[in-house]
Amino acid sequence: MIFRAVEDADLISRARLGDVEAFNALVSRWEKRVFNYLLRLTASREDALDLSQDAFLKAYQNLRKLDDPARFGPWLYRIAHNEAYSHFRRRRPETVLPEIADFERAAAAAAGPAFSPDLSLAVTAALDRLTPEQREAVVLKVYEGFKFEEMAEILDTPVSTIKSRLYSALDVLKGELAPVKAPLNNPRGAR
Amino acid sequence: MSSCSRLEEIRDYAMGELTADARGAVENHTAACDECAAELRSLRLTTTTLRSLPDEEIPQRIAFVSDKVFEPSPVARFFQGFWNSTARLGFASAALLAISITTFALRQPVAAPVTNQPAIATQASLTPDISKQIDVAVARAVAQVHQEDAQLTKAALETAEARHRQEHQALMVAMQESMTVLQKRLSTYTMLASNNMPREAGGQ
Repeated sequence: MIFRAVEDADLISRARLGDVEAFNALVSRWEKRVFNYLLRLTASREDALDLSQDAFLKAYQNLRKLDDPARFGPWLYRIAHNEAYSHFRRRRPETVLPEIADFERAAAAAAGPAFSPDLSLAVTAALDRLTPEQREAVVLKVYEGFKFEEMAEILDTPVSTIKSRLYSALDVLKGELAPVKAPLNNPRGAR
Repeated sequence: MSSCSRLEEIRDYAMGELTADARGAVENHTAACDECAAELRSLRLTTTTLRSLPDEEIPQRIAFVSDKVFEPSPVARFFQGFWNSTARLGFASAALLAISITTFALRQPVAAPVTNQPAIATQASLTPDISKQIDVAVARAVAQVHQEDAQLTKAALETAEARHRQEHQALMVAMQESMTVLQKRLSTYTMLASNNMPREAGGQ
């Protein structure tokens, strides 16, 4: 992670001097993560791709405003978060809260061989029980691996609120996933 | 759920948010507290289960910055820079003016024999032989000048045509690139519009 941060900072310095290839390297590094983050927020591949493009374009245009190049990740996710919520606001109120079940079911069907499709479907359904704020906290922590301070920066929210959202979400998920946890210990067990 | 007062610490530990010292303290605590050990196991199992959802591959690469088609070619950059640079335009104007003056100066000798002709003719009237020789020499000189003039004109025309071909080619390349960019943008907007229309229609 330290080497990665140094390299990102170096690429940012070069990109700030007009080196487009340096920014392209940053895009290559982060595009999959940002896309998956937005996919889990919007539940739409098309929206996630469009928002990813918008987020990277804004990042490119505002690269000089990034105070600390070592904080590129949270800064980029902050832009992506803002893009997602601007997108939600542009949509009708009843569609603001995306239902992730449908797209996650499709994703579950293509899930890796290490886990059964049933397990992925159960996770999908459990995530769907969360509020958007709880879900985003889970996505940033569990899937994206950010620290609480970075999450606070991304969401512009105090750490205490972030922890509250995350732990309440995990309480819900523990209950939702309790019946399906057992096969994890024996993924190929009789079903 | 654990009723132990160190519950939040256990959760922070499970989320990887504690320092090395604090981690050691939690590990000692969970070795002695069954409730906290169970909470820790439950949290770990839950996060492991959540991570069973794999990341998806991005359907297509982020293109607007990385795509070379959005970068102007060297020729296009030159023309763009040329038209946007007052200094370069000024230099080009000065160069054109200099070429015009030089061409005018070079063409002056062509007219010179004609202007000298009456004087030569006046002198030639004194001696017919010399006058005839002078007439022949003048005619030869005029013919030579005409020939040189024709060659110069031909060379200048060829140069101008070659330059025109080059500029036309460069312009075509620049236009082709602009068309590619426009097509790409159009397809993006079309995709965006086609994505938005069903949603909006569905929402209404």
